[in-house]
Amino acid sequence: MQALRGKLLYVDLTGGKITKEDTPDNLIRDYLGGEGFAVKLFCDAMDPKLDAFDPNNVLVVSAGLFTGNAVPTAGKTVFVSKSPLTGTIAESIMGGAIGAELKAAGYDALVIKGRSKSPKYLFIEDDVVGLLDASKYWGRFTRDVSEGIQNEAGSDVIVACIGPGGEKLVRFAGIDCEDRQAGRGGLGAVMGSKNLKALAVRGTRDIGVADPKRLASISLTWQGIMEKSNAFNEDTKYGSGEFLGWMNSERGVFPTRNWNDSVFEERAKIDPYYWAPRYGVKNKGCFACTKACGKLFVVDDGPYAGTVLDGIEYETLYSLGSQCGNPDIEALAKANEVCDLYGIDTISTGVVIGFVMELVERGILNPDDIGVDCRFTNPDAVPKMAELIGMRKGMGKLFGEGVARISKEILQGSENFAIHVKGMEPPAYDVRGMKGLGLGFMTSPRGACHLRSGFYALDLTGKFWRISDVDRFSPSGKGEQVKLMEDFMTVYDCLGMCKFQRGFFKLEGLMELLDAVVGVSFTEDDLLLVGERINNLKQLFNLDAGIRRKDSYLPKRITQEPIKSGVSKGALLTETEMIGMLDDYYKARRWDREGRPVQSKLAQLGLV
Amino acid sequence: MVAGLVPYPEKCTGCRFCELICSLTHEGSVNRKKARLRIVKKGIRNDIPVVCTQCVACGDDCCAEACPENAISMVGDILVVSEEMCTGCGICEKTCKYGVIRVVEGIARKCDLCSGDPVCVKFCPLGALKYEEPGGERYLAVLAMLGGK
Repeated sequence: MQALRGKLLYVDLTGGKITKEDTPDNLIRDYLGGEGFAVKLFCDAMDPKLDAFDPNNVLVVSAGLFTGNAVPTAGKTVFVSKSPLTGTIAESIMGGAIGAELKAAGYDALVIKGRSKSPKYLFIEDDVVGLLDASKYWGRFTRDVSEGIQNEAGSDVIVACIGPGGEKLVRFAGIDCEDRQAGRGGLGAVMGSKNLKALAVRGTRDIGVADPKRLASISLTWQGIMEKSNAFNEDTKYGSGEFLGWMNSERGVFPTRNWNDSVFEERAKIDPYYWAPRYGVKNKGCFACTKACGKLFVVDDGPYAGTVLDGIEYETLYSLGSQCGNPDIEALAKANEVCDLYGIDTISTGVVIGFVMELVERGILNPDDIGVDCRFTNPDAVPKMAELIGMRKGMGKLFGEGVARISKEILQGSENFAIHVKGMEPPAYDVRGMKGLGLGFMTSPRGACHLRSGFYALDLTGKFWRISDVDRFSPSGKGEQVKLMEDFMTVYDCLGMCKFQRGFFKLEGLMELLDAVVGVSFTEDDLLLVGERINNLKQLFNLDAGIRRKDSYLPKRITQEPIKSGVSKGALLTETEMIGMLDDYYKARRWDREGRPVQSKLAQLGLV
Repeated sequence: MVAGLVPYPEKCTGCRFCELICSLTHEGSVNRKKARLRIVKKGIRNDIPVVCTQCVACGDDCCAEACPENAISMVGDILVVSEEMCTGCGICEKTCKYGVIRVVEGIARKCDLCSGDPVCVKFCPLGALKYEEPGGERYLAVLAMLGGK
């Protein structure tokens, strides 16, 4: 089949055994690629009851079906494993070129299990696959590892690696490739637990296209449509944080100081409309992105001179900014850089820091014991805390466990303001005033996430695609709508498409591309069924892993403390609404009250 | 006007879509290693578009001069490889200081400016690649950034 490479690569780090298998023919029809392949292969190979740090935990890497092909903005690589943060199945997706290169080397997916006795990196050059010594890279920053391996193996080798955070099993450590991160869910710690420092790939093979002329023509048409849009102008100028000011002032749902507030009064100082012209040297893009929304951010002077990173993304402006009461953009940039170098997730790191700040404010923790004056009023504490966590030094050992485990260790009522769902620290959307996304936080298999459902767009603007008249303060109708959006969004992760383009391509654009790239026709219903199949498969895994309905519930601050100020003042997502929405969602999914899919649904999806 | 591909590294985002669409257009399949231009990433700061100068800034290191088969010749304003005459010996690749003419599977693959309508430029909206009057100093600046092949 065009676009598929035909091989799956299996690596067992315990014995060093490397095997190749043929990619089953029906895999595209049922799972498309990318996230679909990774979830399917993971579930086939993994015992759900094993701990995330068990040597036999499985890590799958798969490029989206369009990734590596000439489809604008299709460059994503999907990692799937059992998360050490949530104990669920977790997908973590990045814009680095590792997946595309893996495909060019001839592999539709890479399945890793086992644990090496000493630090290794996996080197792949087309058919040649080997485990090489990584002792000299152990303990080193992500950027140094990439540079070192490229000096050793060639500058055109694509490297994905972990930093010290992953080695030290920070439960929210990520995987880095070209300063793009698979940040969420702690899959970098899974690599660390396996003594696997990096993947290094060089691929030289052709990736087939069913109808090259048609693909070139479709791609050009879409490129023209994108470039003419307002979104193109806004995103390339200001990046993903373009709407930060609007979120703060017009919607009043920009979480601040560990979700004590939902409006950040010093917003203007971290708004990209302020910093992009001052610190943004040029744009940076994910692999294959022709609408690049990243910025090369450089600090030239002051205490943080020399800071350089690809960012700062919207979620990070919240997590290392407003969540920590931090209006100092240079301290924020430094903290972001620290997270990238140590290889830890900026969202979880920032939410942990804000949580610790509240623990200090309430007198539950003493800053002297932490060694950092960790307060909402001290911006300089943010990069220092990020470093403490990345190194797991002193109390950083506890903080690297994530909000849920810190709270369990400390108790003293901290569970009331430990902000997480299924152990996952949430992104920058105060769901007290965004009830659809509130449900999305609950139903996301990997815990609090805005990108499984993408429902923030509907809550904030009232409509998307087939869905209209969405009232962000009402729980009504959300079950069916969130289900539909989750299935829709999953298609994007299967194809490796950037979700920022979903308003352009919707599903019909993808269908046209599928026809040109793969030569297979899919209807909208076919695609949504693939999404539904994958979401059911994840749920089955989570059930077998012991995840229960109550694990999806929202933190008490969201169900009990109304938003204090701004245009969403008084908004609350009550426990009754929470339970009602979850019931509606389970009904829409044809899952029973505990979330177990009914037999007829499984039969329809071919999952019996 | 004689136009050529002109690189603006300070605008390059490092996305490499130019490589993908170049190979799709010329090969009918996608393979960055067969693209007629390349993006070199050096650390986080540098994304360097390396393009064929069509002999504008090659000096003595001219692939056409070096070719023992005379397989590279001007067609209009564009230096083109004759696939019939090319033996894949690789002398051109060794000669080219930009490293953009590459012998893959026995044929030298060289930018032909898509016969005067280069497709890479159409997918480079932030202006890292332009099709315009060639400025030799921009090619030399790229060489300096590369510091060798």
